[in-house]
Amino acid sequence: MSVSLRCVEASDLLLPGSLPEALAMMAEPEPPTPLAGGTDLMVQCEAGARKPPARLLSLKQLPELKGIDEADDTIRIGAGATHWQIRNHADVKVGLPGLVEAVSMVGGRQIQTMGTIGGSLANGSPAGDIAPYLLIADAVVEVASIEGTRQIPIRNFLIDYRKIDLKPNELIVAVTCKVLPEGAKEGWRKLGPRAAQAISKIMGNYRGKIVDGVIESFAVSLGSVAPTAIRLPEVEAFLVGKPLSEETIAEAERLASASVKPISDIRSTAEYRKWVAGRLVRGFLTSFTKGNEGSEGSEGCES
Amino acid sequence: MNPETERTWIINGEKMSVTFPPGRRLLDVLREDLKLTGTKEGCGEGECGACTVIVDGELIVSCLLAAGQVPDGAEIMTVEGLEKTEGGRLLQASYVEKGAAQCGFCIPGMIMSSYHLLSRGEPLSQPIIREAHAGNICRCTGYEKIMEAVSAAAEHWPKSEAKS
Repeated sequence: MSVSLRCVEASDLLLPGSLPEALAMMAEPEPPTPLAGGTDLMVQCEAGARKPPARLLSLKQLPELKGIDEADDTIRIGAGATHWQIRNHADVKVGLPGLVEAVSMVGGRQIQTMGTIGGSLANGSPAGDIAPYLLIADAVVEVASIEGTRQIPIRNFLIDYRKIDLKPNELIVAVTCKVLPEGAKEGWRKLGPRAAQAISKIMGNYRGKIVDGVIESFAVSLGSVAPTAIRLPEVEAFLVGKPLSEETIAEAERLASASVKPISDIRSTAEYRKWVAGRLVRGFLTSFTKGNEGSEGSEGCES
Repeated sequence: MNPETERTWIINGEKMSVTFPPGRRLLDVLREDLKLTGTKEGCGEGECGACTVIVDGELIVSCLLAAGQVPDGAEIMTVEGLEKTEGGRLLQASYVEKGAAQCGFCIPGMIMSSYHLLSRGEPLSQPIIREAHAGNICRCTGYEKIMEAVSAAAEHWPKSEAKS
């Protein structure tokens, strides 16, 4: 009995043993498609949303992509680090607490075990759970080819809807984040139809420092409101130097809603997203007045 | 067309060799090639968790894993392997006792998440037990009886089966 081919069954699978070997394969005239945890690519191929590539290059077995290393005020996370690995890493828990919160709400346990930070970035989805955090942590994406490596600030790396600054012969090898500065606080919130296994309607991250009631610094990012994850420069510029008062919070909320231009799609409407963008910023600022209880996490909501 | 790949894995404690196209999903290799049909396919998109198995100690969904990515010598545990372990038998009995299965389709995956959680031997709490099953969707039970079954099994979990 013949069985029809499923998913990527017809694709060839390359299994390089080292990063140099993988980069050599990527340098061939028709480079293979990188496959990390499969939590996006396999889904897209199975659902028919993407043509199965002729050749896949597995990244799972590459030792060079797995490390997480702290140095001075940064943490370098190998592109092959899984969400579960990031979530449980002692240095990441201390230095990048908002990232731990964000990866903890990716899918469920199985998806966290399989999915990688590099894969999430390579997928380039505006609803990806990781990119908004990387924006507030001033992350730098390290990509490599046989010609060498490039260090690209995350805000330049995210170009447009599903478009990233990665050439066909390049692989994402690491992401380096700035650790939370002394005295600063960060947090994250995601709204979806349920807490686990849901793609966000909207999500946001913040990192800020407030000294004696005055906002010294404040970075805020949102996902699922634009073709890529974005920072909110108007809101940030307004907030710096302002007292943390109801008047300031109300104006920041208004500015956030006014500055985003989301679309309506299957997960939410533009109107709802604009409104929630403001509410997220309000919630982030209010968290400073409520003491240091961290972020408000993730919750389901009526669609 | 891709060449066939051969792998030898330890599945449920038994050494098995199998040949398949490397892009074939682990789920299909288990069900079609090895006739281990206890593992179910629900959504095929990694959302429902019905195809959950344990590969080298990691809880994964077998519908999103190209079997060629699983190296030679890997240890795979499917629902068929549960009854070979004391903890597995305890969980099965607990699921039955508490009425945790209704239509039963999600259970082969659900119980693998339970086994994975309990066999890690880490401190447990209700939120931890719930979160450990967040990747498994059940449309019948409302989850309460499943959570009761896992909690009950945890109380009697054999010390010998707690591993790091």
